[in-house]
Amino acid sequence: MYFVKSYMVLLSIIFLGLNGCNSDLAPSGSDQRAVVSSGSIGFQPGQQAPNITWLDSVGNSFNLSDHLVGGATPAQAVVLYFTMWCPICTSHMDDILFNTVPLFSLRGTVVYVAVDYVSGTVAMARTAEVSNGYAGSAFRTVVDTNQTVMNQMHASMGTTVVINQNGLVLMNEDYRTGQNLRTILNAVLP
Amino acid sequence: MMFSIVNKIKGAALIVGAAFLLPVSLHAASCCGGGSAASLVLPKFGKAMLDVSMDVEQYHGYWDSKGVWRADPPNSSLNQYRLNVGGAYRLADRWQISAMIPYVFNQNKYTGISSNTNGLGDAAVSVWYEAFDNIMCVWDVQSWQDLKPAIYWGATLTIPTGISPYDAVNNNFDITGRGFYRLDGSVLLDKTVYPWNATLGYTYGVHLERPVNREYGNYVQPYRKKMGDRSTATISMGYTHFTQLMQSITYTLAYAQLDEQKAVISGVTDATSGLKKRSLSGTVAWASDDRDWIIKGTVNHALRYNQWGRNFPTTNVFTMGVSHVFR
Repeated sequence: MYFVKSYMVLLSIIFLGLNGCNSDLAPSGSDQRAVVSSGSIGFQPGQQAPNITWLDSVGNSFNLSDHLVGGATPAQAVVLYFTMWCPICTSHMDDILFNTVPLFSLRGTVVYVAVDYVSGTVAMARTAEVSNGYAGSAFRTVVDTNQTVMNQMHASMGTTVVINQNGLVLMNEDYRTGQNLRTILNAVLP
Repeated sequence: MMFSIVNKIKGAALIVGAAFLLPVSLHAASCCGGGSAASLVLPKFGKAMLDVSMDVEQYHGYWDSKGVWRADPPNSSLNQYRLNVGGAYRLADRWQISAMIPYVFNQNKYTGISSNTNGLGDAAVSVWYEAFDNIMCVWDVQSWQDLKPAIYWGATLTIPTGISPYDAVNNNFDITGRGFYRLDGSVLLDKTVYPWNATLGYTYGVHLERPVNREYGNYVQPYRKKMGDRSTATISMGYTHFTQLMQSITYTLAYAQLDEQKAVISGVTDATSGLKKRSLSGTVAWASDDRDWIIKGTVNHALRYNQWGRNFPTTNVFTMGVSHVFR
Protein backbone atom coordinates (compact mmCIF):
# COMPACT_ATOMS: atom_id res chain seq x y z
CA MET A 1 0.00 0.00 0.00
CA TYR A 2 2.95 2.30 0.61
CA PHE A 3 3.78 1.97 -3.06
CA VAL A 4 0.24 2.97 -4.04
CA LYS A 5 0.25 6.00 -1.78
CA SER A 6 3.62 7.04 -3.14
CA TYR A 7 2.28 6.65 -6.65
CA MET A 8 -0.73 8.85 -5.94
CA VAL A 9 1.49 11.46 -4.31
CA LEU A 10 3.72 11.37 -7.38
CA LEU A 11 0.73 12.02 -9.65
CA SER A 12 -0.25 14.96 -7.45
CA ILE A 13 3.25 16.37 -7.65
CA ILE A 14 3.16 16.07 -11.44
CA PHE A 15 -0.13 18.00 -11.53
CA LEU A 16 1.17 20.70 -9.22
CA GLY A 17 4.55 20.85 -10.92
CA LEU A 18 2.90 21.57 -14.23
CA ASN A 19 1.48 24.76 -12.83
CA GLY A 20 4.75 26.51 -13.48
CA CYS A 21 5.15 25.50 -17.11
CA ASN A 22 1.63 25.33 -18.52
CA SER A 23 -0.21 28.58 -19.08
CA ASP A 24 -3.58 26.81 -19.37
CA LEU A 25 -3.61 25.98 -15.67
CA ALA A 26 -3.77 29.68 -14.81
CA PRO A 27 -4.69 31.40 -18.08
CA SER A 28 -3.95 35.07 -18.56
CA GLY A 29 -6.23 37.67 -20.07
CA SER A 30 -3.64 40.41 -20.31
CA ASP A 31 -2.95 42.01 -23.65
CA GLN A 32 0.63 41.11 -24.59
CA ARG A 33 0.58 42.03 -28.26
CA ALA A 34 3.73 43.69 -29.49
CA VAL A 35 3.51 47.22 -30.84
CA VAL A 36 4.08 47.19 -34.58
CA SER A 37 5.77 49.96 -36.50
CA SER A 38 3.83 51.45 -39.35
CA GLY A 39 4.98 50.35 -42.78
CA SER A 40 6.88 47.30 -41.54
CA ILE A 41 6.35 44.00 -43.28
CA GLY A 42 4.97 41.19 -41.20
CA PHE A 43 2.03 39.07 -40.16
CA GLN A 44 0.46 41.21 -37.46
CA PRO A 45 -2.47 43.56 -37.93
CA GLY A 46 -1.11 46.97 -38.82
CA GLN A 47 1.81 45.59 -40.83
CA GLN A 48 2.18 45.27 -44.59
CA ALA A 49 1.65 41.72 -45.82
CA PRO A 50 4.67 40.12 -47.47
CA ASN A 51 4.58 39.41 -51.17
CA ILE A 52 2.64 36.18 -51.59
CA THR A 53 2.72 33.87 -54.59
CA TRP A 54 1.12 30.46 -54.88
CA LEU A 55 -0.19 28.01 -57.44
CA ASP A 56 -3.89 27.35 -57.20
CA SER A 57 -5.55 23.95 -57.39
CA VAL A 58 -5.77 24.02 -61.18
CA GLY A 59 -2.19 25.16 -61.68
CA ASN A 60 -2.67 28.88 -62.24
CA SER A 61 -0.50 31.31 -60.35
CA PHE A 62 -1.97 33.43 -57.58
CA ASN A 63 -0.20 36.67 -56.74
CA LEU A 64 -1.40 38.81 -53.89
CA SER A 65 -0.19 41.91 -55.73
CA ASP A 66 -2.67 41.23 -58.54
CA HIS A 67 -5.48 41.91 -56.08
CA LEU A 68 -4.07 45.10 -54.58
CA VAL A 69 -4.44 48.62 -55.87
CA GLY A 70 -2.78 48.83 -59.30
CA GLY A 71 -2.93 45.06 -59.80
CA ALA A 72 -4.54 43.19 -62.66
CA THR A 73 -7.70 42.27 -60.73
CA PRO A 74 -7.88 44.58 -57.72
CA ALA A 75 -10.17 43.81 -54.79
CA GLN A 76 -11.19 45.68 -51.68
CA ALA A 77 -10.09 42.79 -49.50
CA VAL A 78 -8.36 39.43 -49.66
CA VAL A 79 -9.37 36.81 -47.08
CA LEU A 80 -6.96 33.95 -46.43
CA TYR A 81 -8.23 30.90 -44.57
CA PHE A 82 -5.60 28.28 -43.68
CA THR A 83 -7.07 24.78 -44.01
CA MET A 84 -5.96 21.22 -43.50
CA TRP A 85 -9.40 19.88 -44.50
CA CYS A 86 -10.31 18.86 -40.96
CA PRO A 87 -13.80 19.06 -39.42
CA ILE A 88 -13.11 22.38 -37.72
CA CYS A 89 -11.62 23.80 -40.91
CA THR A 90 -14.56 22.87 -43.10
CA SER A 91 -17.00 24.09 -40.48
CA HIS A 92 -15.30 27.48 -40.62
CA MET A 93 -15.16 27.42 -44.42
CA ASP A 94 -18.88 26.63 -44.58
CA ASP A 95 -19.59 29.54 -42.26
CA ILE A 96 -17.65 31.84 -44.58
CA LEU A 97 -19.41 30.47 -47.65
CA PHE A 98 -22.93 30.57 -46.29
CA ASN A 99 -22.88 33.45 -43.82
CA THR A 100 -20.18 35.85 -44.98
CA VAL A 101 -19.94 35.62 -48.76
CA PRO A 102 -23.67 36.31 -49.36
CA LEU A 103 -23.60 39.19 -46.91
CA PHE A 104 -21.06 41.11 -48.98
CA SER A 105 -21.69 39.77 -52.46
CA LEU A 106 -23.06 43.10 -53.67
CA ARG A 107 -20.46 45.26 -51.94
CA GLY A 108 -17.26 45.54 -53.91
CA THR A 109 -14.88 42.65 -54.51
CA VAL A 110 -13.53 40.20 -51.96
CA VAL A 111 -11.16 37.40 -52.87
CA TYR A 112 -11.62 34.36 -50.64
CA VAL A 113 -8.62 32.04 -50.57
CA ALA A 114 -8.44 28.58 -48.99
CA VAL A 115 -4.76 28.06 -48.21
CA ASP A 116 -4.07 24.33 -48.30
CA TYR A 117 -0.83 23.82 -46.37
CA VAL A 118 -0.93 20.03 -46.15
CA SER A 119 -1.50 18.68 -49.65
CA GLY A 120 1.85 19.79 -51.04
CA THR A 121 1.01 19.51 -54.74
CA VAL A 122 -1.52 21.00 -57.11
CA ALA A 123 -3.02 17.60 -57.87
CA MET A 124 -3.44 16.66 -54.20
CA ALA A 125 -4.90 20.05 -53.34
CA ARG A 126 -7.40 19.65 -56.17
CA THR A 127 -8.38 16.21 -54.92
CA ALA A 128 -8.90 17.53 -51.39
CA GLU A 129 -10.86 20.51 -52.66
CA VAL A 130 -13.18 18.32 -54.73
CA SER A 131 -13.68 15.58 -52.15
CA ASN A 132 -14.54 18.11 -49.46
CA GLY A 133 -17.08 19.82 -51.69
CA TYR A 134 -15.38 23.15 -52.37
CA ALA A 135 -14.74 22.88 -56.11
CA GLY A 136 -16.55 25.70 -57.84
CA SER A 137 -17.22 27.52 -54.58
CA ALA A 138 -16.35 31.10 -53.73
CA PHE A 139 -13.05 29.82 -52.34
CA ARG A 140 -10.02 29.71 -54.58
CA THR A 141 -7.83 26.94 -53.22
CA VAL A 142 -4.07 27.53 -53.33
CA VAL A 143 -1.16 25.25 -52.49
CA ASP A 144 1.20 26.47 -49.79
CA THR A 145 4.10 24.18 -50.66
CA ASN A 146 6.54 23.74 -47.76
CA GLN A 147 4.25 25.92 -45.62
CA THR A 148 6.13 29.00 -46.80
CA VAL A 149 3.33 31.51 -46.35
CA MET A 150 1.97 29.68 -43.33
CA ASN A 151 5.30 30.32 -41.61
CA GLN A 152 5.51 33.90 -42.90
CA MET A 153 2.06 34.68 -41.53
CA HIS A 154 2.57 32.66 -38.30
CA ALA A 155 -0.56 30.80 -39.28
CA SER A 156 -2.01 27.46 -38.24
CA MET A 157 -5.21 25.48 -38.68
CA GLY A 158 -8.12 27.93 -38.83
CA THR A 159 -6.05 31.09 -39.04
CA THR A 160 -7.93 33.79 -40.90
CA VAL A 161 -6.12 36.75 -42.42
CA VAL A 162 -7.71 39.83 -43.98
CA ILE A 163 -5.57 42.06 -46.20
CA ASN A 164 -6.94 45.31 -47.59
CA GLN A 165 -6.41 46.79 -51.04
CA ASN A 166 -3.22 48.51 -49.89
CA GLY A 167 -1.68 45.29 -48.66
CA LEU A 168 -2.25 46.11 -45.00
CA VAL A 169 -2.97 43.20 -42.66
CA LEU A 170 -6.25 44.02 -40.92
CA MET A 171 -6.79 40.74 -39.12
CA ASN A 172 -4.76 37.64 -38.30
CA GLU A 173 -6.39 35.32 -35.80
CA ASP A 174 -8.10 32.00 -35.24
CA TYR A 175 -11.51 31.94 -36.93
CA ARG A 176 -13.64 31.95 -33.72
CA THR A 177 -17.28 32.88 -34.50
CA GLY A 178 -16.87 34.64 -37.85
CA GLN A 179 -18.15 37.87 -36.34
CA ASN A 180 -14.73 39.57 -36.40
CA LEU A 181 -14.31 38.74 -40.09
CA ARG A 182 -17.71 40.19 -40.93
CA THR A 183 -17.08 43.30 -38.85
CA ILE A 184 -13.83 44.01 -40.65
CA LEU A 185 -15.26 43.36 -44.11
CA ASN A 186 -18.20 45.59 -43.27
CA ALA A 187 -15.78 48.39 -42.43
CA VAL A 188 -13.63 47.90 -45.51
CA LEU A 189 -16.19 47.34 -48.24
CA PRO A 190 -18.09 50.18 -49.94
CA MET B 1 -18.32 -24.32 -2.68
CA MET B 2 -19.58 -21.27 -0.84
CA PHE B 3 -16.10 -19.78 -0.87
CA SER B 4 -15.90 -20.42 -4.57
CA ILE B 5 -19.15 -18.58 -5.25
CA VAL B 6 -18.16 -15.64 -3.06
CA ASN B 7 -14.81 -15.53 -4.80
CA LYS B 8 -16.55 -15.48 -8.15
CA ILE B 9 -18.78 -12.66 -7.04
CA LYS B 10 -15.82 -10.67 -5.81
CA GLY B 11 -14.06 -11.43 -9.04
CA ALA B 12 -16.97 -10.22 -11.08
CA ALA B 13 -16.98 -7.00 -9.08
CA LEU B 14 -13.37 -6.54 -10.04
CA ILE B 15 -14.18 -7.18 -13.65
CA VAL B 16 -16.95 -4.63 -13.51
CA GLY B 17 -14.39 -2.22 -12.20
CA ALA B 18 -12.19 -3.03 -15.12
CA ALA B 19 -15.06 -2.46 -17.52
CA PHE B 20 -15.30 1.13 -16.31
CA LEU B 21 -11.87 1.71 -17.73
CA LEU B 22 -13.33 1.63 -21.20
CA PRO B 23 -12.26 4.73 -23.07
CA VAL B 24 -15.79 5.43 -24.19
CA SER B 25 -15.60 9.13 -23.59
CA LEU B 26 -12.34 9.80 -25.32
CA HIS B 27 -12.08 13.11 -27.01
CA ALA B 28 -8.95 13.09 -29.01
CA ALA B 29 -7.97 14.64 -32.23
CA SER B 30 -4.45 15.43 -33.14
CA CYS B 31 -5.76 18.13 -35.43
CA CYS B 32 -8.09 19.83 -33.04
CA GLY B 33 -7.48 18.98 -29.41
CA GLY B 34 -5.56 16.25 -27.77
CA GLY B 35 -5.92 13.24 -25.60
CA SER B 36 -7.85 12.92 -22.42
CA ALA B 37 -7.87 10.49 -19.56
CA ALA B 38 -10.84 8.22 -18.99
CA SER B 39 -12.11 7.67 -15.49
CA LEU B 40 -10.96 4.87 -13.22
CA VAL B 41 -13.37 3.17 -10.86
CA LEU B 42 -12.10 0.94 -8.11
CA PRO B 43 -13.88 -2.37 -7.44
CA LYS B 44 -15.92 -2.65 -4.25
CA PHE B 45 -13.43 -4.85 -2.46
CA GLY B 46 -10.35 -3.04 -3.61
CA LYS B 47 -8.30 -0.69 -1.50
CA ALA B 48 -6.33 0.69 -4.37
CA MET B 49 -5.62 0.09 -8.02
CA LEU B 50 -2.95 1.02 -10.51
CA ASP B 51 -3.65 1.13 -14.21
CA VAL B 52 -1.49 1.54 -17.28
CA SER B 53 -2.87 1.46 -20.79
CA MET B 54 -1.88 2.39 -24.30
CA ASP B 55 -4.28 3.81 -26.87
CA VAL B 56 -3.60 3.78 -30.56
CA GLU B 57 -6.04 6.08 -32.33
CA GLN B 58 -6.13 6.03 -36.10
CA TYR B 59 -7.97 8.75 -38.00
CA HIS B 60 -10.09 7.85 -40.99
CA GLY B 61 -11.96 10.88 -42.24
CA TYR B 62 -14.46 13.00 -40.37
CA TRP B 63 -18.05 14.15 -40.16
CA ASP B 64 -18.50 17.69 -41.36
CA SER B 65 -20.76 20.33 -39.82
CA LYS B 66 -23.79 18.80 -41.54
CA GLY B 67 -22.98 15.28 -40.40
CA VAL B 68 -21.77 14.15 -43.81
CA TRP B 69 -18.82 11.78 -43.61
CA ARG B 70 -15.80 12.86 -45.65
CA ALA B 71 -12.42 11.26 -46.30
CA ASP B 72 -9.11 12.71 -45.15
CA PRO B 73 -6.81 14.12 -47.84
CA PRO B 74 -5.33 11.35 -50.00
CA ASN B 75 -2.07 9.78 -48.83
CA SER B 76 -2.52 11.13 -45.33
CA SER B 77 -1.84 9.09 -42.21
CA LEU B 78 -3.00 10.60 -38.94
CA ASN B 79 -2.40 8.80 -35.66
CA GLN B 80 -2.35 9.58 -32.00
CA TYR B 81 -0.81 7.35 -29.35
CA ARG B 82 -1.59 7.81 -25.67
CA LEU B 83 0.15 6.21 -22.74
CA ASN B 84 -2.24 6.49 -19.81
CA VAL B 85 -1.17 6.02 -16.22
CA GLY B 86 -3.58 6.20 -13.36
CA GLY B 87 -4.43 5.09 -9.88
CA ALA B 88 -7.43 4.79 -7.61
CA TYR B 89 -7.51 4.80 -3.84
CA ARG B 90 -10.31 3.97 -1.43
CA LEU B 91 -10.98 6.76 1.03
CA ALA B 92 -13.84 5.08 2.88
CA ASP B 93 -16.28 2.21 2.46
CA ARG B 94 -18.30 4.13 -0.10
CA TRP B 95 -15.82 6.72 -1.28
CA GLN B 96 -12.87 6.53 -3.62
CA ILE B 97 -10.61 8.91 -5.51
CA SER B 98 -8.74 8.36 -8.73
CA ALA B 99 -6.45 10.18 -11.10
CA MET B 100 -5.26 9.55 -14.62
CA ILE B 101 -2.87 11.37 -16.90
CA PRO B 102 -1.95 10.54 -20.49
CA TYR B 103 1.24 11.17 -22.39
CA VAL B 104 0.36 11.88 -25.99
CA PHE B 105 2.27 11.25 -29.19
CA ASN B 106 0.92 12.86 -32.36
CA GLN B 107 2.04 11.42 -35.66
CA ASN B 108 0.64 13.17 -38.72
CA LYS B 109 1.69 12.63 -42.28
CA TYR B 110 0.28 14.37 -45.34
CA THR B 111 1.69 14.58 -48.83
CA GLY B 112 3.01 18.04 -48.09
CA ILE B 113 3.94 17.89 -44.41
CA SER B 114 4.92 15.43 -41.70
CA SER B 115 4.87 16.02 -37.98
CA ASN B 116 5.82 14.03 -34.90
CA THR B 117 5.19 15.73 -31.57
CA ASN B 118 4.49 14.63 -28.03
CA GLY B 119 3.59 15.94 -24.61
CA LEU B 120 1.34 15.48 -21.61
CA GLY B 121 -2.37 15.33 -22.30
CA ASP B 122 -5.17 16.60 -20.08
CA ALA B 123 -5.35 14.89 -16.71
CA ALA B 124 -8.46 13.85 -14.81
CA VAL B 125 -9.11 13.58 -11.08
CA SER B 126 -12.29 11.85 -9.93
CA VAL B 127 -14.22 11.23 -6.75
CA TRP B 128 -16.73 8.38 -6.73
CA TYR B 129 -19.50 7.52 -4.31
CA GLU B 130 -20.89 3.98 -4.23
CA ALA B 131 -24.59 4.01 -3.35
CA PHE B 132 -24.52 0.45 -2.06
CA ASP B 133 -22.79 -1.55 0.64
CA ASN B 134 -22.99 -5.09 -0.66
CA ILE B 135 -22.20 -6.71 -3.95
CA MET B 136 -25.25 -6.37 -6.16
CA CYS B 137 -24.38 -9.26 -8.48
CA VAL B 138 -26.64 -12.30 -8.35
CA TRP B 139 -26.78 -15.75 -9.81
CA ASP B 140 -30.54 -16.03 -9.81
CA VAL B 141 -33.31 -13.52 -9.67
CA GLN B 142 -35.56 -14.64 -6.81
CA SER B 143 -37.10 -11.34 -5.82
CA TRP B 144 -37.34 -7.81 -7.10
CA GLN B 145 -34.49 -6.82 -4.81
CA ASP B 146 -32.19 -9.04 -6.81
CA LEU B 147 -32.73 -6.68 -9.74
CA LYS B 148 -31.39 -3.63 -7.91
CA PRO B 149 -28.31 -2.34 -9.69
CA ALA B 150 -25.10 -1.08 -8.23
CA ILE B 151 -25.11 2.70 -8.57
CA TYR B 152 -22.04 4.89 -8.64
CA TRP B 153 -22.09 8.67 -8.52
CA GLY B 154 -18.97 10.47 -9.67
CA ALA B 155 -17.44 13.88 -10.16
CA THR B 156 -14.44 14.36 -12.42
CA LEU B 157 -12.29 17.42 -12.89
CA THR B 158 -10.38 17.55 -16.17
CA ILE B 159 -7.23 19.58 -15.70
CA PRO B 160 -5.66 21.24 -18.77
CA THR B 161 -2.18 19.81 -18.30
CA GLY B 162 -1.87 19.21 -22.04
CA ILE B 163 -0.57 21.54 -24.71
CA SER B 164 -3.42 23.57 -26.14
CA PRO B 165 -3.82 26.09 -28.98
CA TYR B 166 -3.50 28.79 -26.32
CA ASP B 167 -0.01 27.76 -25.25
CA ALA B 168 3.30 28.73 -26.78
CA VAL B 169 3.00 26.33 -29.71
CA ASN B 170 4.08 26.63 -33.32
CA ASN B 171 0.99 25.09 -34.90
CA ASN B 172 -1.91 22.73 -34.39
CA PHE B 173 0.20 19.59 -34.73
CA ASP B 174 1.72 20.29 -31.31
CA ILE B 175 -1.61 20.09 -29.50
CA THR B 176 -2.15 17.42 -26.86
CA GLY B 177 -4.93 19.01 -24.80
CA ARG B 178 -7.94 21.29 -25.05
CA GLY B 179 -6.88 24.02 -22.64
CA PHE B 180 -10.04 24.11 -20.51
CA TYR B 181 -10.96 22.89 -17.06
CA ARG B 182 -14.09 20.74 -17.15
CA LEU B 183 -16.25 19.47 -14.31
CA ASP B 184 -18.21 16.30 -15.02
CA GLY B 185 -20.96 14.68 -13.02
CA SER B 186 -21.50 10.99 -13.71
CA VAL B 187 -23.85 8.20 -12.79
CA LEU B 188 -23.13 4.56 -13.51
CA LEU B 189 -25.68 1.77 -13.13
CA ASP B 190 -24.39 -1.74 -13.20
CA LYS B 191 -26.27 -5.02 -12.96
CA THR B 192 -24.88 -8.51 -13.15
CA VAL B 193 -26.96 -11.63 -13.31
CA TYR B 194 -24.40 -14.27 -14.04
CA PRO B 195 -23.02 -14.73 -16.54
CA TRP B 196 -24.52 -11.58 -18.02
CA ASN B 197 -23.75 -8.00 -17.16
CA ALA B 198 -25.23 -4.69 -18.26
CA THR B 199 -24.18 -1.14 -17.55
CA LEU B 200 -25.68 2.27 -18.22
CA GLY B 201 -23.67 5.40 -17.84
CA TYR B 202 -24.33 9.09 -18.22
CA THR B 203 -21.97 12.00 -17.80
CA TYR B 204 -22.69 15.70 -18.05
CA GLY B 205 -19.76 18.06 -18.16
CA VAL B 206 -19.41 21.82 -17.91
CA HIS B 207 -16.33 23.58 -19.25
CA LEU B 208 -15.14 26.53 -17.24
CA GLU B 209 -14.83 29.82 -19.06
CA ARG B 210 -11.29 31.15 -19.45
CA PRO B 211 -9.49 34.18 -20.84
CA VAL B 212 -7.48 33.75 -24.03
CA ASN B 213 -4.70 36.09 -25.07
CA ARG B 214 -2.72 33.82 -27.39
CA GLU B 215 -3.54 31.54 -30.32
CA TYR B 216 -0.96 29.11 -31.66
CA GLY B 217 1.82 31.18 -30.15
CA ASN B 218 0.62 34.57 -31.42
CA TYR B 219 -0.62 37.08 -28.88
CA VAL B 220 -4.07 38.39 -29.81
CA GLN B 221 -6.54 40.86 -28.40
CA PRO B 222 -7.75 39.13 -25.22
CA TYR B 223 -11.17 37.54 -25.17
CA ARG B 224 -13.08 35.02 -23.09
CA LYS B 225 -14.07 31.57 -24.28
CA LYS B 226 -16.28 28.84 -22.89
CA MET B 227 -16.54 25.50 -24.59
CA GLY B 228 -19.97 23.95 -24.78
CA ASP B 229 -21.42 21.62 -22.20
CA ARG B 230 -20.78 17.99 -22.97
CA SER B 231 -22.83 14.85 -22.39
CA THR B 232 -21.84 11.25 -22.83
CA ALA B 233 -24.21 8.30 -22.67
CA THR B 234 -23.03 4.71 -22.73
CA ILE B 235 -24.70 1.35 -22.66
CA SER B 236 -22.91 -1.97 -22.55
CA MET B 237 -23.61 -5.67 -22.33
CA GLY B 238 -21.11 -8.22 -21.13
CA TYR B 239 -20.68 -11.94 -20.75
CA THR B 240 -18.26 -13.56 -18.33
CA HIS B 241 -16.72 -16.95 -18.77
CA PHE B 242 -14.97 -18.63 -15.83
CA THR B 243 -12.21 -21.08 -16.54
CA GLN B 244 -11.56 -24.20 -14.47
CA LEU B 245 -8.71 -22.34 -12.80
CA MET B 246 -11.19 -19.64 -11.76
CA GLN B 247 -9.70 -17.13 -14.10
CA SER B 248 -12.31 -15.11 -15.91
CA ILE B 249 -12.71 -13.73 -19.39
CA THR B 250 -15.31 -11.04 -19.93
CA TYR B 251 -16.55 -9.98 -23.33
CA THR B 252 -18.24 -6.60 -23.50
CA LEU B 253 -19.97 -4.69 -26.28
CA ALA B 254 -20.69 -1.03 -25.75
CA TYR B 255 -22.35 1.85 -27.54
CA ALA B 256 -21.49 5.43 -26.71
CA GLN B 257 -22.79 8.79 -27.82
CA LEU B 258 -20.93 12.01 -27.18
CA ASP B 259 -22.51 15.43 -27.68
CA GLU B 260 -20.92 18.79 -27.10
CA GLN B 261 -22.88 22.01 -27.39
CA LYS B 262 -21.61 25.13 -29.09
CA ALA B 263 -18.89 27.27 -27.57
CA VAL B 264 -19.41 30.87 -26.54
CA ILE B 265 -16.73 33.46 -27.27
CA SER B 266 -17.04 36.79 -25.47
CA GLY B 267 -20.78 36.32 -25.24
CA VAL B 268 -21.27 35.29 -28.88
CA THR B 269 -22.22 31.72 -29.72
CA ASP B 270 -19.74 30.06 -32.06
CA ALA B 271 -22.03 28.50 -34.64
CA THR B 272 -19.13 26.54 -36.13
CA SER B 273 -18.48 24.59 -32.93
CA GLY B 274 -20.23 21.74 -31.16
CA LEU B 275 -19.81 18.10 -32.03
CA LYS B 276 -21.39 14.68 -31.96
CA LYS B 277 -19.89 11.24 -32.08
CA ARG B 278 -21.41 7.78 -31.90
CA SER B 279 -19.18 4.77 -31.55
CA LEU B 280 -19.17 1.06 -30.81
CA SER B 281 -16.67 -0.79 -28.64
CA GLY B 282 -15.72 -4.37 -28.02
CA THR B 283 -13.63 -5.35 -25.01
CA VAL B 284 -12.05 -8.56 -23.83
CA ALA B 285 -10.84 -8.53 -20.22
CA TRP B 286 -8.94 -11.30 -18.52
CA ALA B 287 -8.71 -11.49 -14.73
CA SER B 288 -6.39 -13.73 -12.74
CA ASP B 289 -7.83 -16.27 -10.34
CA ASP B 290 -7.18 -13.98 -7.36
CA ARG B 291 -8.55 -11.02 -9.36
CA ASP B 292 -5.48 -8.98 -8.57
CA TRP B 293 -4.50 -8.61 -12.19
CA ILE B 294 -6.66 -7.60 -15.09
CA ILE B 295 -5.51 -7.37 -18.69
CA LYS B 296 -7.85 -5.86 -21.20
CA GLY B 297 -8.03 -5.01 -24.84
CA THR B 298 -10.59 -2.74 -26.47
CA VAL B 299 -11.45 -1.81 -30.01
CA ASN B 300 -13.52 1.34 -30.40
CA HIS B 301 -14.90 2.04 -33.84
CA ALA B 302 -16.75 5.07 -35.15
CA LEU B 303 -19.00 4.05 -38.02
CA ARG B 304 -18.34 6.06 -41.15
CA TYR B 305 -21.96 6.75 -41.90
CA ASN B 306 -23.61 10.09 -42.47
CA GLN B 307 -25.29 11.53 -39.36
CA TRP B 308 -23.41 9.24 -36.96
CA GLY B 309 -21.39 12.26 -35.95
CA ARG B 310 -20.87 15.92 -36.60
CA ASN B 311 -17.81 18.17 -36.63
CA PHE B 312 -15.58 15.36 -35.45
CA PRO B 313 -13.02 12.90 -36.80
CA THR B 314 -13.96 9.28 -37.29
CA THR B 315 -11.39 7.07 -35.65
CA ASN B 316 -10.53 3.58 -34.59
CA VAL B 317 -9.06 3.33 -31.10
CA PHE B 318 -7.16 0.23 -30.04
CA THR B 319 -6.46 0.01 -26.32
CA MET B 320 -4.36 -2.45 -24.37
CA GLY B 321 -4.08 -2.10 -20.64
CA VAL B 322 -3.24 -3.78 -17.39
CA SER B 323 -4.62 -3.09 -13.93
CA HIS B 324 -3.45 -4.29 -10.56
CA VAL B 325 -5.77 -4.25 -7.58
CA PHE B 326 -4.60 -4.04 -3.99
CA ARG B 327 -6.97 -5.52 -1.41
